[in-house]
Amino acid sequence: MSPLLSIRDLKLSFRGITGRTDVLHGISLDIAPGEKVALVGESGSGKSVTARIVLGLLQELSAASIDGDIRFESDDMSAFSRKQFAALRGTDISMIFQDPTSSLNPAFIIEHQFTEVIRRRHPAAKREDCLRIAGQALAETAIQDVERVLASYPFQLSGGMNQRVMIAMALVNQPKLLIADEPGTALDVTVQAQTLQLMRQLTDEHSAAVFFISHNLGVVREFADRVYVIYRGRIVEDGPTAAIFADPRHAYTRALMSAVPRITGTGLPDIPERSADFDAPGVSHGGLS
Amino acid sequence: MTLLSLHGVTKTFRVNQREIHAVRDVSFDVQEGECLAIVGESGSGKTTLANMILGLLAATSGEIRFRDANLPARRTRELRRQIQFVQQNPLSALNAKRTVGASVRLGLDTYGIGARATRKVTVEAALSAVGLAPELARRPPGALSGGQRQRVSIARALAVEPSLVVLDEPTSALDVLVQARVLRLLNELRAAQKLTYVFITHDLAVVRNIADRCVVLKDGQIVESGATEAIFDNPQHDYTRNLIRAVPVVDETEVQLKDRLGKGND
Repeated sequence: MSPLLSIRDLKLSFRGITGRTDVLHGISLDIAPGEKVALVGESGSGKSVTARIVLGLLQELSAASIDGDIRFESDDMSAFSRKQFAALRGTDISMIFQDPTSSLNPAFIIEHQFTEVIRRRHPAAKREDCLRIAGQALAETAIQDVERVLASYPFQLSGGMNQRVMIAMALVNQPKLLIADEPGTALDVTVQAQTLQLMRQLTDEHSAAVFFISHNLGVVREFADRVYVIYRGRIVEDGPTAAIFADPRHAYTRALMSAVPRITGTGLPDIPERSADFDAPGVSHGGLS
Repeated sequence: MTLLSLHGVTKTFRVNQREIHAVRDVSFDVQEGECLAIVGESGSGKTTLANMILGLLAATSGEIRFRDANLPARRTRELRRQIQFVQQNPLSALNAKRTVGASVRLGLDTYGIGARATRKVTVEAALSAVGLAPELARRPPGALSGGQRQRVSIARALAVEPSLVVLDEPTSALDVLVQARVLRLLNELRAAQKLTYVFITHDLAVVRNIADRCVVLKDGQIVESGATEAIFDNPQHDYTRNLIRAVPVVDETEVQLKDRLGKGND
C-alpha cells in the first residue's frame, strides 16, 4: 500500500541574528493509511516542528528554510500554496495539541467552535445539521450531557472534558490523518490514560492514521504501531513498537528507555544527558506496512 | 526522630459563599532524613498542603509541628530558612532579571549565612554541588536549559542550609534523561546533607524510586499511607490502585505488576 504521508530527507534551519541554526538534518518517515506512528524525542529534538511542517504552518515563517520531499496521498506538498494547506487543515488533516483548554477559543461556546469546524468540510451546513453532527461526535467520546457541553465555554469544562471535545472536533470531518502533539500531557495520569484509550478506539473506528508526537515512551508503547526515535534532528531508530521496546539497538534509544523510572522500583539509573554514541548512525528494524 | 508532624490539618476555602474543603483532617509524621511523597490527582489538595507546611497559607484548623514545637503560619526568619521550597517550573521560580548567582546569593544575604566576603565562594560551591559550572553564576536563567534551571532552584534552596525541603513536582517539566539525573542528584544531596524531603507529585513511577514512604490524597483526605514498597505491592484502596495502573510503562515486568493489581476490583 502506498503511504498516506511520506517524508524524505526533510531539512529545516532557522535564520536568526546569531546566524543559521540547523534543526532537522534530513529525516525520513512514512505513515500508512490507518497506521498509528509515533515520533518520540526530547524537547528541542525537532518533533513538533516536523508536525508543523506537515500542517504547512512553518512554511509561512520567513526565517525558516525547509528542504525535502513531503507527500500526502502522493501529492507533493512542497508545491502547495497557503490556500491548499489551509483547505487541508481541519478536513483531511486535523490536529490535537497538548493543552486542550488553551487550544479551544475561550470567547466562544463549544457549539460555535464545532460549527466552524464542520463548515470547513460542508460550507453550506445549517445550524441544526451542525448541532446534530456535533452531538453525535461528542456522544462517541462518551460525553453524557451533550447539550450542556455544546452550550458551555471551555473554561466551564474540566480538562478531561475539553480533551474529549478536542478529540470529537478533530475527528468530526473524517480526517485521513490526525496529528496529535503530546495529547493529554497537561492532564492527570488517570485522565491521560482514558484519553489515549479513547483516541486509539475512535481513530480505529474512523480508520484515521495518527502521527503521534511525544516525549513519553510509556505512552508511545501503549498507543503506537510503529515508532521513530528522534535525537537532535536525526532519526536514530525506527521500527514496529514491539521490536523497539523488546530490542532497542541505538545508544540513545537505550538511554531513553533506561531513564524512565519503573513502577517496579528498579532504582535511579546513572545515565549521561549527552554521549558521543548518541550521534551514531540510525538503526532501522524495518516494518512499514 | 520526627521532624515535621501534621495533626488534623484542615483548610477550607470560601468561594461564592460555598465552602470548599481543600484539605480535610490530614495527619502524618515526617521523620528526619526521610523522603515522604504526597501523591494524588490534581485537585486532591497536594499543593494546598505544601503551602501550609511552607507557611504560605494558614490552616483553618489543626496543628503543624516542627522539631516538636508548634509551627505558626507567620514564620520567623529562622523557620523560613529551615523549610525551603523547590517548585515545578524553575523559569517562573527564578527572577529573569537577576543572574542565577544573584538568585542563589539572595538567600545567603537574607538569612545572613557566612561572612559577606565568603558568600561569592559559597554561591559557587552551591552551584557546583548541583553539578553546575561556577561560570554559570553570571548568566540569567533565560540562558540556561530547563534542567540547569531546576539545578539552580535546588542550589538556591540548599545554599541556606535548610533541614526540610518541600519539592512540588520538581522534575515533571523536565525531559526524561534530565529527570533521571536530577532525581539522582536529589537523592545524593539528601544523603550528603542529611536533608528531609516532602516530595509532591502525581507521578507514581518517580515516587516508587525516590520515596521511603507515601501519603495518598484524594479530595483533600488521606486514603492510605505507608512504606512505598508496601503500597505498591499491595495497595489497599482502589484509588491508589488506579493511580498505579494509569502509569504508562515501558517494560514487561511493569505490565505484570499492573496486571496483578488489576486482578483486584476495578
